[in-house]
Amino acid sequence: MFGISFLSPLFLIGAAAAVIPILLHLFHRRTDVVIDFPAVRLLKRGPIEQHRRRRLREVILLALRVTALVLLAVSFARPYLAGAVAPESAPLTVVAADVSMSLSAPGQIERVREAAQQAIRSAPGPHAVALVAFADAATVVVPPTLDRALALAAAAQLTAGPGGTRYRTALARAAELAGVREARVVVITDLQQAGWEVNDDGGLPDGVGVEVVTIPPPPSNVAVTSAERRDRTIVATVQNYGAAPASVPVALLVDGKTVANVTVDVAALSATEARLTGELPGSGAARVVVDDAAGYQGDNIRHVVLDPPPAVSIAVIVADPTGATGGLYLERALSVAGGGREFRVDVVDGRAFSRWTAAAVAHQAALVVLGTRTLDRTGRERIKSYLNGGGQLWLSLGPDIDPATLADVIGADLGVTPAPVAGPSGGATMVASDGRHPIFRPFLNPSGALGDVQVDQHRRLNDHTGRTVLARFSGGDPALTEQAVGRGRLLIFTSDLDNLWSRFPLSPAFVPFAVETARYLTAGRQQRQAWVLPDTPRGVAAVPGVARVGAGTSGYSVALNVNVRESNPATTSVDEFTSGIERTSRSGQPAPGRQAREVEDRQRWWQIGLLVMLAALAGEGLVGRRAT
Amino acid sequence: MAGGARYLDPAIVARLGTIDLKARTIVEGFLTGLHRSPYKGFSVEFAEYRQYIHGDDLATLDWKVFARSDRHFVKKFEEETNLTCHLLLDISRSMAYGSGGITKLQYGSYLTGALAYLMHRQRDAFGLIAFDDRISALLPASARSGHLRAVLLALERLKIGAKTDVAKPLNDLAAAVRKRGLVVLVSDLLDDPVRVLDGLKHFRYRGTDVIVFHILDPYELEFPFEHAARFRDMETADEVMAVPRAVRQDYIDRLQELIATYRRELGLAGIDYCLLDTSKPLELGLMSYLMTRRKLL
Repeated sequence: MFGISFLSPLFLIGAAAAVIPILLHLFHRRTDVVIDFPAVRLLKRGPIEQHRRRRLREVILLALRVTALVLLAVSFARPYLAGAVAPESAPLTVVAADVSMSLSAPGQIERVREAAQQAIRSAPGPHAVALVAFADAATVVVPPTLDRALALAAAAQLTAGPGGTRYRTALARAAELAGVREARVVVITDLQQAGWEVNDDGGLPDGVGVEVVTIPPPPSNVAVTSAERRDRTIVATVQNYGAAPASVPVALLVDGKTVANVTVDVAALSATEARLTGELPGSGAARVVVDDAAGYQGDNIRHVVLDPPPAVSIAVIVADPTGATGGLYLERALSVAGGGREFRVDVVDGRAFSRWTAAAVAHQAALVVLGTRTLDRTGRERIKSYLNGGGQLWLSLGPDIDPATLADVIGADLGVTPAPVAGPSGGATMVASDGRHPIFRPFLNPSGALGDVQVDQHRRLNDHTGRTVLARFSGGDPALTEQAVGRGRLLIFTSDLDNLWSRFPLSPAFVPFAVETARYLTAGRQQRQAWVLPDTPRGVAAVPGVARVGAGTSGYSVALNVNVRESNPATTSVDEFTSGIERTSRSGQPAPGRQAREVEDRQRWWQIGLLVMLAALAGEGLVGRRAT
Repeated sequence: MAGGARYLDPAIVARLGTIDLKARTIVEGFLTGLHRSPYKGFSVEFAEYRQYIHGDDLATLDWKVFARSDRHFVKKFEEETNLTCHLLLDISRSMAYGSGGITKLQYGSYLTGALAYLMHRQRDAFGLIAFDDRISALLPASARSGHLRAVLLALERLKIGAKTDVAKPLNDLAAAVRKRGLVVLVSDLLDDPVRVLDGLKHFRYRGTDVIVFHILDPYELEFPFEHAARFRDMETADEVMAVPRAVRQDYIDRLQELIATYRRELGLAGIDYCLLDTSKPLELGLMSYLMTRRKLL
């Protein structure tokens, strides 16, 4: 019952190599020199090794060598204790225990443990049992086994986590374990309605019975469902999921110290805003905590990052940054946005940009091209790849643009007239096609600010399908257009942004125009500071709190919080639950042996085998050294 | 005294033809050396003539004098005695060991042969006993002229024996020897020293003088081996695995202790002891013999 099995038994053939040292021992062990000597009796009592002792050492060496070879073969054969694994054909009871955040109310997880243990104990006699803990993901805590004591012990260790409920994921895992054999699934859950809302896949094979053990939800639950910083104030949303109004103390903690307190009254099944004002540091993390002892404990805390949002990287490509005005006005305009922290602007000439790696270019939230004359082929290819790969590009058709190479830069024919067009005397003014466009929203009030813009020269764009004109000059020519290129987006300003063809950079409208255009381009490209589990930045564990992403100056903090969907204790009925289970055919089940692989992967006896083998080799080296 | 140019290298002696030639070469060379040395008293110098009487050995008759004077005179030598000498040669298996060009048995045989030759020249009676754990060859002491050839032939035909048991033949011989004389023991003495000493003292108790030539190979004396090896006893086949550098000093100490024991105990018993290294000239053994013989006369 508790014998050893192997995942790759063919490797055991390698154990036959153990006969090599045995044969050497039997037939070639006397490899040392034998000297006939008359006065051997004078050697016997000296500090020397007796022949008998040497024989013993040879046997020890042989044993160590054979052990090392056998262990090597056995380790590669991937052994595991089959006794802990039920036969693939044994009927199975899968106990699927809900350990989502909605089981974190007082007493709930204890009931889950008891129910799980009861389900294990009451499983039919010939059944193997398996224990699955599920939330956002389903984990096989105990694979199918006949050892019920093991399953009971594991059930006693179940704890509620921060994850959300996903019934289909749990059912899919149970179906994998069941395979093609006779099986039943005992689902221990609070029947939270939200468990069906996630659009994932999973069901049970036909013929697999389902029993549901219901864990009652708490009578009420109050949760902090959002929190954000607004200068010296943290504005939090407190949601009451209970049927009765609640008066809830809310605290703001920074570094473990309470900074602000407020008590909010929340009507039944509604939310209210809690404003917590206090001395907040410029950076770091804070927590908004509600005192809700009866409800779910996992949603009583909301983590907030106090750091300003990470600056958005924008590269401004000019023909020659050593010139008097290359990119200067645009850089200065963007540098004031967000208190000077919203954008990080790098002004580079074409030659320097060509030396950037593709990764460095991809890191930019947007590119602004003011000059193309110093871009070589590599630089042009970089821009084209960036734009077609989903990048955001703002092109200004000023005097440093070479219309002949624009197609190489953009990857498409823009239909630009090579020669600039002079505007009317005194310069053309600019008019937004739709004042509600995000770029022009700041110009709605005071109205007419764009009318102060005076442009002496611009380039004319031919009509182009798919191009949207966002603004026009007073003569009717497009001033600002938007179009898709590949998977990216291209904005074209048909005049100059360097005070060469226009006095626009000197007008009051230039800064808001530049900032809003940059914001419009980089919308959605900012680094997220707030994440909702189970989504996390790469490399960050799915644990509520504040974590650091990246290192050095480019690193930034993120807040990880539970999904508010899980805070709603609304439940479904057992019938609704069972009827919601999608039934699948038994074809397409995973191949037998997966369970054994999982057990072997968890036991990892091969690692112990290799360690012992190394120890045997080390011992062989030590014993062998003494023989010389 | 023992200049290398004056004496023969045992390895060179070994390449000479028969043992009588070897013995002759050794002894004549040795005597020639002695004549030129301050040790004339050891030699068998001619002393006087005397009238031949019935029973004298015709070999001693001086035919030149007879030719000149028509009288029978025999040569009377200066140190002619009636000494009876027993040459005891150990032929046990351990004597077959030789690290260089000569084994201990060869060395002992040449020494025994040379001693026999020397005794023959001195008109001493001599006999040969070869033994291992028992007596395997026995030639009773005799001074007859043909006896030397018989002894040398016996030496030539000796075959290596088995395990050493010096004490047993010594006790047997001690019981058999009735006339006082000289016992010369040539052996590596790799036996229980207590029993060996008991056997030799047995002779002394009976008034017999004893000289012991302890033959050892240079490798036995120095244990110059370098690499770890299993050392197999030539007589018992017991094996001992040893790392020479680890056991060398202990071995040498034990051997020197054994030699010192023999030297001390034999000296106390009035027995001459001469340690001979098989790489050293055989003449050193002859010198020891003559010194002992001189004490007896």
